[in-house]
Amino acid sequence: MAEVHVIGQILGATGFSESSLFCKWGIHTGAAWKLLSGVREGQTQVDTPQVGDMAYWSHPIDLHFATKGLQGWPRLHLQVWSQDSFGRCQLAGYGFCHVPSSPGTHQLDCPTWRPLGSWREQLARAFVGGGPQLLHGDAIYSGADRYRLHTAAGGTVHLELGLLLRHFDRYGVEC
Amino acid sequence: MNPQEEKVKIITEEFVENDEDADVGRQKTSRVQRRKRKKQLPTAGPDEMVSEKSHLGDQQEPGHEDPNADARPLSMPTRRGPRSLPPIPSASRTGFAEFSMRERMREKLQAARSKAESALLQEIPTPRPRRLRSPSEKELETEFGTEPGGKIQTTQQEDDSQSYSRVKFRDSVRKIKSKTPVPPGFPSAEEAYNFFTFNFDPEPEESEEKPKAKNRDGANQEEGEGEEEEAPVPEGIDKTDEEELLDDKDAVDFLLGLDRGAEDIVAVRPADYESVHIRLQKEKELLFIPSRRTVPTYKKLPENVQPRFLEDEGLYIGARLEVPRTNQNIMENRLLMQEPVSAQPLLPSGAPEQLREGRRWFGDDGRILALPNPIKPFPSRPLVLSQEQDIKAELETLYKKAVKYVHRSQHMIGSGDPPGNFQLDIDISGLIFTHHPCFSREHVLAAKLAQLYDQYLARRQRNKAKFLTDKLQALRNAVQMSLNPAKTPKSLDTTRRAINEYKSEIRQTRKLRDIEQEKDRTLLKTIIKVWKEMKSLREFQRFTNTPLKLVLRKEKVDQKADEEAYEAEVQAEISELLEEHREEYEQRMDEYRSAHQQWKAWKKAQRTKKKKKKQGVEEHPDDEMEEPYPGEDPVKPVPPEPTNQAVIEQEVRERAAQSRRRPGEPMLVPELSLAGSVTPNDQCPRVEVLRREDVKRRSVYLKVLFNDKEVSRTNSRPLGADFRVHFGQIFNLQIVNWPESLTLQVYETVGHSGTTLLAEVFLPIPETTVVTGRAPLEEVEFSSNQHVTLDHEGVGSGVPFSFEADGSNQLTLMTSGKVSNSVSWAIGENGIPLIPPLSQQNIGFRSALKRADAISSIGTSGLTDMKKLAKWAAESKLDPNDPNNAPLMQLILVATSGESYVPDFFRLEQLQQEFNFVSDEELNRSKRFRLLRLRSQEVPEFRNYKQIPVYDREIMEKVFQDYEKRLRDRNVIETKDHIDTHRAIVAKYLQQVRESVINRFLIAKHHFLLADLIVEEEVPNISILGLRLFKLAEQKRPLRPRRKGRKKVTAQNLSDGDIKLLVNIIRAYDIPVRKPITSKFQQPPRSSRTFSEKQAASPTTHSPTHSADYPLSQVLVRPFVEVSFQRTICHTTTADGPNPSWNEELELPFRAPNGNYSTTSLQSVKDDVFINIFDEVLYDVLEDDRERASGIHTRIERHWLGCVKIPFSTIYFQAKIDGTFKIDTPPVLLGYSKEQSVVAERGFDPVRSLSEGSYITLFITMEPQLVPGESVREKFDSQEDEKLLQATEKFQAECALKFPNRQCLTTVIDISGKTVFITRYLKPLNPPQELLNAYPNNPQATAELVARYVSLIPFLPDTVSFAGICDLWSTSDQFLDLLAGDEEEHAVLLCNYFLSLGKKAWLMMGNAIPEGPTAYVLTREQSHYLIWNPCSGHFYGQFDTFCPLKSVGCLIGPDNIWFNIQRHDSPLRINFDITKPKLWKSFFSRSLPYPGLSSVQPEELIYQRTDKAAAAELQDRIEKILKEKIMDWRPRHLTRWNRYCTSTLRHFLPLLERSQGEDVEDDHRAELLKQLGDYRFSGFPLHMPYSELKPLIEAVYSTGVHNIDVPNVEFALAVYIHPYPKNVLSVWIYVASLIRNR
Repeated sequence: MAEVHVIGQILGATGFSESSLFCKWGIHTGAAWKLLSGVREGQTQVDTPQVGDMAYWSHPIDLHFATKGLQGWPRLHLQVWSQDSFGRCQLAGYGFCHVPSSPGTHQLDCPTWRPLGSWREQLARAFVGGGPQLLHGDAIYSGADRYRLHTAAGGTVHLELGLLLRHFDRYGVEC
Repeated sequence: MNPQEEKVKIITEEFVENDEDADVGRQKTSRVQRRKRKKQLPTAGPDEMVSEKSHLGDQQEPGHEDPNADARPLSMPTRRGPRSLPPIPSASRTGFAEFSMRERMREKLQAARSKAESALLQEIPTPRPRRLRSPSEKELETEFGTEPGGKIQTTQQEDDSQSYSRVKFRDSVRKIKSKTPVPPGFPSAEEAYNFFTFNFDPEPEESEEKPKAKNRDGANQEEGEGEEEEAPVPEGIDKTDEEELLDDKDAVDFLLGLDRGAEDIVAVRPADYESVHIRLQKEKELLFIPSRRTVPTYKKLPENVQPRFLEDEGLYIGARLEVPRTNQNIMENRLLMQEPVSAQPLLPSGAPEQLREGRRWFGDDGRILALPNPIKPFPSRPLVLSQEQDIKAELETLYKKAVKYVHRSQHMIGSGDPPGNFQLDIDISGLIFTHHPCFSREHVLAAKLAQLYDQYLARRQRNKAKFLTDKLQALRNAVQMSLNPAKTPKSLDTTRRAINEYKSEIRQTRKLRDIEQEKDRTLLKTIIKVWKEMKSLREFQRFTNTPLKLVLRKEKVDQKADEEAYEAEVQAEISELLEEHREEYEQRMDEYRSAHQQWKAWKKAQRTKKKKKKQGVEEHPDDEMEEPYPGEDPVKPVPPEPTNQAVIEQEVRERAAQSRRRPGEPMLVPELSLAGSVTPNDQCPRVEVLRREDVKRRSVYLKVLFNDKEVSRTNSRPLGADFRVHFGQIFNLQIVNWPESLTLQVYETVGHSGTTLLAEVFLPIPETTVVTGRAPLEEVEFSSNQHVTLDHEGVGSGVPFSFEADGSNQLTLMTSGKVSNSVSWAIGENGIPLIPPLSQQNIGFRSALKRADAISSIGTSGLTDMKKLAKWAAESKLDPNDPNNAPLMQLILVATSGESYVPDFFRLEQLQQEFNFVSDEELNRSKRFRLLRLRSQEVPEFRNYKQIPVYDREIMEKVFQDYEKRLRDRNVIETKDHIDTHRAIVAKYLQQVRESVINRFLIAKHHFLLADLIVEEEVPNISILGLRLFKLAEQKRPLRPRRKGRKKVTAQNLSDGDIKLLVNIIRAYDIPVRKPITSKFQQPPRSSRTFSEKQAASPTTHSPTHSADYPLSQVLVRPFVEVSFQRTICHTTTADGPNPSWNEELELPFRAPNGNYSTTSLQSVKDDVFINIFDEVLYDVLEDDRERASGIHTRIERHWLGCVKIPFSTIYFQAKIDGTFKIDTPPVLLGYSKEQSVVAERGFDPVRSLSEGSYITLFITMEPQLVPGESVREKFDSQEDEKLLQATEKFQAECALKFPNRQCLTTVIDISGKTVFITRYLKPLNPPQELLNAYPNNPQATAELVARYVSLIPFLPDTVSFAGICDLWSTSDQFLDLLAGDEEEHAVLLCNYFLSLGKKAWLMMGNAIPEGPTAYVLTREQSHYLIWNPCSGHFYGQFDTFCPLKSVGCLIGPDNIWFNIQRHDSPLRINFDITKPKLWKSFFSRSLPYPGLSSVQPEELIYQRTDKAAAAELQDRIEKILKEKIMDWRPRHLTRWNRYCTSTLRHFLPLLERSQGEDVEDDHRAELLKQLGDYRFSGFPLHMPYSELKPLIEAVYSTGVHNIDVPNVEFALAVYIHPYPKNVLSVWIYVASLIRNR
């Protein structure tokens, strides 16, 4: 019966080699969690930085959860995509981070990665765009043995999340 | 070479000479300056160098300092040198280091140190060369000498100023340098050096080098120093040289007597050095080096303990880490030695203790205790990623091309990628009938023959008999071999066993071979037999139908060899059989013997028993009981008969003869060919010709059904004479899901008649490995159970027939055949098979790598499958003793033994339950959460909740009541509100349709275009700019008002009270006027005379009776207008006369439902604006005439005259409504008439007088103006032809270009959300027969009646039912079922009725008031056009000024659309002749002919008669409810009902219905007067279509009848419902108030 408000924004991203970026995001929770209001997933606009290399999205996130347990604490999963000059989109990175568990404002940096693929695919990516993508997106936030995956590092997504917790103390969770 | 450098040299040399006589004292300052200078200028430009030098040179004093100055330019490059590699010579120099000289040099050095120190202190700041090179190198370096390097060094110098030794060396260098240019001056040092080097370094290279360059010595020395920094070891060696050199330097210093002070400070010390020996010695003292020898085991174990090896004892020991033996030894030694030492202070008790302490590290086996090897035997990351199959499904990646982002209505994360397209290729190559009704008898035989022959071929190809024979042979050989003991040196036992095995196998094989051979033979025989039958048949019928021909080829055989082989075979068999029999015999004999023995024993026992029995029968009577117990006496065994060889031989031979080719008999090879000729038609009997023709007429095609849906079909191919059909078509099925079924349907077409389904063929879904190109053609058989009897030679199907003449031996064949096909998965462009993923399918092959990890091997889900787990455990050879595996092993043990309880469920989130804060139920019970969730789901009841209480206790339970009730009632049809069940059902249905449509469009509504989000000011182009400029120059004309657009307000920032409805009532025409009362009953006593009457009449006459007599003295009417909206009422002032002019603006507040001002909510406002016109009547109620002088006592009454009803939605969408409307007056208005007014005004306005009825001019708008919601831009899917859709778009674009304001409609959206071409809605449809029968001879009356019928169907705008979504068009039957619809539906139905009545009718799209864009119906009568308003049932002539239709956009007929391209669009001014292409642009034209579109309307409308009883019941209920309502509305007064009047009214209402409210007024009045003479009566009948109760109540309320508060008023209310077919109800309500005249 505890409640969690997640209020914040996806500020932007830095460190990507691509320039025009947008981000698809979603929040994944365990079975004990119930979304009372808010949108669970979304997509930002495409931002092309003019000054500096940070792409600013300032995409609002506003969710209200009710939970009956701590398991499956909400986690944010992100997909950063880049749009090239032809308007084509390609994957620039996957990332995931847990929503912080302490109340207050949090600055989060979520590093990203993307599958590398075979050398052929890398070559193709370099010249004609596109790139290998995960067939099953849940590998982004699940701990399935990813060690088989070869990945390259993407940039970092910056988030600013404010958290309000309610009634956790009632169930012995001190925060 | 560098010329600059040389120049520098030369110059400096010059200075050297000049400086000789310069002052020495200034040297110090000059140095400092120099240093500073260097920092600035260093660019190493030669000129600067020169200048610098010259500058320095001025100040420098001669003496010994000039060599320094000389050396400087040389040393400078060296300073820059460090970047280059260190030179090699240093190594060589160490070679000539002289040890013996060390002592002497040291002494000298000591002596020189004090001097040098003082000298060098001053020189600290000077740049310190790190390394020197050979002169040639130096010169080269100057080329790329850069300042930064120099700078760094200068800074470094300062840091290093303390390091005396360095400075010292630098100094020495300088000194040497200074010396080198003048070699003859100081030969001693150099010679000594050379001498020494020569002596001790006899290497030829060195000897060459050394004498060559003097100054290189210095360089070398410096290098030595450089090395000193890096490697301290050669330091000592270097030193010797330096000492030597210093010696020279000392000499110089001494000679010149320079810098004594410095030498005092600086001390030159050698680097500390310890010789290796000493060091080793010391190390030995300090360090302990354990030995590398193996430690004997006894040392490691306690005394008298034998090493124990646990592994041998069966305990589990993990694999030890691999450590080299020597390392282990060292460790062991160390532990043994060191431990006591370290433990010494702690454990003084003695050596044994120490030893024990040391042994603690050793296990029982005498080895160091070690943890199991933690290193996995395989790398956890595969080295090569090429094994795609290793990647687990969820980690699979797929290369995706960068694709343009397609804007879709949903773009969700997680849902991820759209399912790929998969493809299934179905290759249908052909069809062969094995039986067909058209088969002649010969065909039947031929088919049989062909089948047999196929079988034969297949058998021959397999040749099983041969294979078995060979096997038999091989086995026999093997037996022979093993029987030969010489060749098989195995043990006797194994041989025997092998032989036995062989023998049993021989027996088996022989049996099989015999069977196969027999089969072969019978097959051959059958073939021959069938062929013979066929031949005889052909002969019999004297024609041939099939080209089949069987040829039996005889293969000669060598008779003798054959016979021999045959005999040998027989013999072998006999011998084997004999042997078998013998064995069997022996076995049986054994059995017999044992049995015999037993029997004998038993017999014996029996005999003894019998004896006993005889003795003691008396004593043991019980024995008798036992007697039968031994039971069946063992039968005396019969000895088996020995085998008879002759018999066996006989048997074998018989069998051989039967199943085998006789020896010498030629081998028969049948060959079937199609070489035969078919008898041509003209030689055949008639029946056969008929048959052949029948065959020709038949054709076959196949339908391909995927998941029971037809996806494609083959071409229709004629059936060949051989009953084979070749298709050769490949169908590529693009699929999304895993196929469930794949079926082919075989259809046969006979001639031009219909097709029949012959059979269904179920194709197997291919394995995932079967991909296109690899799939073999397969034949799938099918058969049909159809019964066909034919009247020709064809044998039919399912019908018995016979080959015999007498009809015996009947045969029944069913149509059957084979389809040869292949189904396979297509391969994508990159070689990936396009197979949909299937979770069950994932069982791929596993690599050996996976074996190590249970989860990766069988997957997480596998863990729950115990069998799998156990299997894996067995496969991977898990060590059961490994404690790591203990839980797993236990689990497996439990699972496999099946003893304990294994949960058969899978828990997704373990331990969730245990850690839950609260249970699910409690969570769901939380009212707050529920409210929050419902609000976010936008459930209508909770959509507009602004704030939700923080605590559960603050939320009332009743909040949910409505919602729960609604949920509960969703499927329960509530009859209370609706009274009529059908309408209740319809309302429910409508609600459901609405919900589903809304849900469907929800996403579409959230789909924004760029323009919705971004307001971008258009960049002004030149023309706009020009216009602006012109405007600036324009003259100011203040008297010319300019229209300013009102500001539109978006919905979100509105709240209650912000929006007002402005109703401007301008004027009215032809208001009914009061009738002079002529009747004597009505002749009032004074009190009943109306006040106004008097007032009005007074100017002309003073007596009311006069006014009644005088027709022209008009009784006036004092009308005022009352506008009621949302129960707010405003009214105008009272005006006089039948044509009043008010010109008043009324302001009514608007409240949106639930305070929600969003577009959707506003669109769904169902409220109407009622504009009622009343007559204000003043009654004088003064009781006493005497008081008249002193007071006026009147009562105001108002009489309803009529009303105009405008739905709010119309205002909302139109933004304003402006025009003259017809007032909806009741058909009977007692006490009022219009005729007079017509008479009175005829002269003035003839046009208006033509029309009947009253009119009111209004202007209605909203303040502020609201932005109406836009319709959905979404493109809907359509089943229309793509070309047609393109054409519609083009047509609409063209029309919009010419006349943007005219409505042009080509496609509409039907109720299921699909785009439909509009003409499909128009089709003649039968009106109810009842209506047609009403006026059989009067088509006009019939048309009117039909129009009335249509108008009686309630009007419900789409915008209300499907808020803001779009205009949905329902078909006429849907419309009639729903009994609700807007203008389009009414118009379509009316148009269809008119078409069916044989009229020329069109749907007319245009603008009308007050509806706005609407649909009317246009009909062409003999000479003129009529415009019908489908919602009211009224019709207007084309030139009727009061026609509400103001503009015409397009006409729609059942087969075409015409767009109005005339200049005007008012129906008054346009020509309706659609044949003129100049006036009407038609959609289908010569370039695009009408394709003959089928209608979406039903074939025929079916009308149920409405249940009269139900209507009567409804009537009563409505009456009751209305009466209650009226009483409710008069809470402060008593409401009396006049029953007599009510019953009178009730009788009168059906009359009104019959006459449609016309021409009954007078009769009615007369009757009423007759009956209710004493009453003053005011009332009127209301007429409405019936939809719901609410509008009725609203209508009654709006008349204001209840507002009369005269104390003795009585009311009368009657309701009449006239049922029309299809539950269309016409409702009449008569409301009246009666006041008794006293």
